[in-house]
Amino acid sequence: MVALARKTLIYEWRRFLPAILAVGFAGLLQLLQAALVLGIFGSSSVYITGSSADLWVGYPGTQSVNLGRAIDNGVEMRLRMDPAVTKVEPFQWVDSDWRGPQDTGGVSVFVSGIDTRPDGMMFSKALSPELRARLVEPDAVIVDRADLDNLGVGIGGVAAINGHRVRVVGVSSGLRALGGVNIVASLDTARRIDTAPADSNRTTYFVARVADPSQAHDIARRLRGAASFGRYDVWTAKSFAHRSQMYWMLDTGAGAGVLFLAGIVFLVGAVITSQTLVAAVVGSVREYATLNALGVGVGALRRVVMEQAFWVGAIGLVGSMALGAVFLLVASHYSVPVALSPVATLACLALVMALAIVSGLAAMRSLRRADPATLLR
Amino acid sequence: MNARPSSPSGIALQARGIHKSFVSGRVRSSVLRDLSIDIETGELTLISGPSGCGKSTLLAILSGLQPPDEGSVHALGEDLCTYDTRKLERFRLHHTGFVFQGFNLFPALSAVEQVELPLHYLGLAPSEAKRRAAQSLEEVGLGPRMRLRPSELSGGEKQRVAIARALAKEPELLFADEPTSALDAANGQIVIDILHRIARNHGTTVLCVSHDPRLVSHADRVLTMEDGRILSDRRQQSPLRPTTGTDTPGTEETAP
Ligand SMILES: Nc1ncnc2c1ncn2[C@@H]1O[C@H](COP(=O)(O)OP(=O)(O)OP(=O)(O)O)[C@@H](O)[C@H]1O
Ligand SMILES: [Mg+2]
Repeated sequence: MVALARKTLIYEWRRFLPAILAVGFAGLLQLLQAALVLGIFGSSSVYITGSSADLWVGYPGTQSVNLGRAIDNGVEMRLRMDPAVTKVEPFQWVDSDWRGPQDTGGVSVFVSGIDTRPDGMMFSKALSPELRARLVEPDAVIVDRADLDNLGVGIGGVAAINGHRVRVVGVSSGLRALGGVNIVASLDTARRIDTAPADSNRTTYFVARVADPSQAHDIARRLRGAASFGRYDVWTAKSFAHRSQMYWMLDTGAGAGVLFLAGIVFLVGAVITSQTLVAAVVGSVREYATLNALGVGVGALRRVVMEQAFWVGAIGLVGSMALGAVFLLVASHYSVPVALSPVATLACLALVMALAIVSGLAAMRSLRRADPATLLR
Repeated sequence: MNARPSSPSGIALQARGIHKSFVSGRVRSSVLRDLSIDIETGELTLISGPSGCGKSTLLAILSGLQPPDEGSVHALGEDLCTYDTRKLERFRLHHTGFVFQGFNLFPALSAVEQVELPLHYLGLAPSEAKRRAAQSLEEVGLGPRMRLRPSELSGGEKQRVAIARALAKEPELLFADEPTSALDAANGQIVIDILHRIARNHGTTVLCVSHDPRLVSHADRVLTMEDGRILSDRRQQSPLRPTTGTDTPGTEETAP
């Protein structure tokens, strides 16, 4: 079989280049957008994904980690009583105000008070054991490397949180927060920083580990039932993380923005690609008409056009994946929060292939001009 | 109905009472008016006449590329007017070849691929398609140049590739519209010789529209058209067949 579509694509690559570039850039934009959105909104649940707890216990209806309200300390007892729960740990979240040594003004910070023991669950994936150990020292805090400039301090620097003097004993990476700055401290330090009187004897969250993580969902449901220690709710780590991300996505309007931008990119890409393919078909319309005169059916000619669209899509996809990988590497090197799940990647690639196919369908329509009778004049 | 010169081997194309008109804007112009004609099998028939008299339109109708407004067209005994687009495509695929004034070759394909391409749609095995393509290119004298692309071929060579493409399908009917008008004298002569040979060696019915006076001497029969009608139908002392009977050497003319 003479590979008309492929041979034409190679021989007249200049003609198809705009379509390939349009598909490639559309793919790249979708990938980067998805990576940025997932990266940024993923950081809203870094408290959960950076920790090894299976269950999270907090105030009922809490939409996102940063919106937690304190619950009764007695809940800890309730959790420990359950035979499936192997470990329980408090997590204190304090919304507070930072004043650095330099004139940076007030910075809104989120203080995470965690169990500093080496086997602690909170931030077990985000902090090294050695870094955790430094938090044992009273009033010691850890900040993220990317936030040092914002806070106007370096390691060893001294600042005030809610008027309470703290000292920066180390820097973490990958602990950036949404809408503020994350500060990690010990539970004791966090409680001293917390100035709200209502929070004495109360803790924002309890996190727990269960013997069999695959049972986490059922255990969460079981624990949810009791009402003896005031109002609280239990979620699996996965569902709470998802809930936090969705909250941010919808609350900030980013979800709609993402869809809108994806639509625009799709539209622009499809217009350029289809116009290029149409021009390629029109440029060969006399040849196609000759084939039709010789008896090659319109269906077969359409297949040639669709095959061209497919190859344009495939080449563009490979290009966007290669460029996307480079961009993501560079981005993560500069601590830009990016993250791509396989599902998101596949969705982007499918969208781009759909773009190529839609453009091919549009180009197919211009085959109507390939009327062999026009060759006889 | 036309009085026809005697036909030794049957009728390949038959048109009866054909009307065709085109509407451009509010003006309706009649291009073919009550035209009837029979084209003999295995002959090289030439249609000539002034520009705009409807020659190409007649060719398009006889070859099944365009339907007439009125009248009937039978090609190889099949009534083309009753066929839908798909059936017409199938008919053309199996029975007709075309050579146009422009060469209409795909820039990306080599000469042999241009010729091979339609053969695949005919359902030939790849090896058979290759063999036939090479054979047709040999026949038009392009054997040594069959790997070249159109950009590397001269105008005459391109037209020969186009002829080979039409020929490789081994059609019973070959339609050519001004096949030599884009070529210089020498290349025109080569193309004329090839068309002549196709009719003689393959028994193909060749219907050719041309102004080229050199083609006249090669044709079995010359039809002159004017204003949508056949003005004269001249059977020549055949350059393709030995003369038979008592015909005077030279030409025999019948008025339509
Ligand atoms: N699709 C069309 N729409 C409108 N008018 C047409 C169309 N096709 C042909 N015509 C008209 O029909 C007439 C005959 O056209 P045709 O192409 O058959 O002429 P021709 O004899 O082949 O002329 P030439 O020798 O210049 O090629 C012309 O006047 C042309 O303008
Ligand atoms: Mg013409």
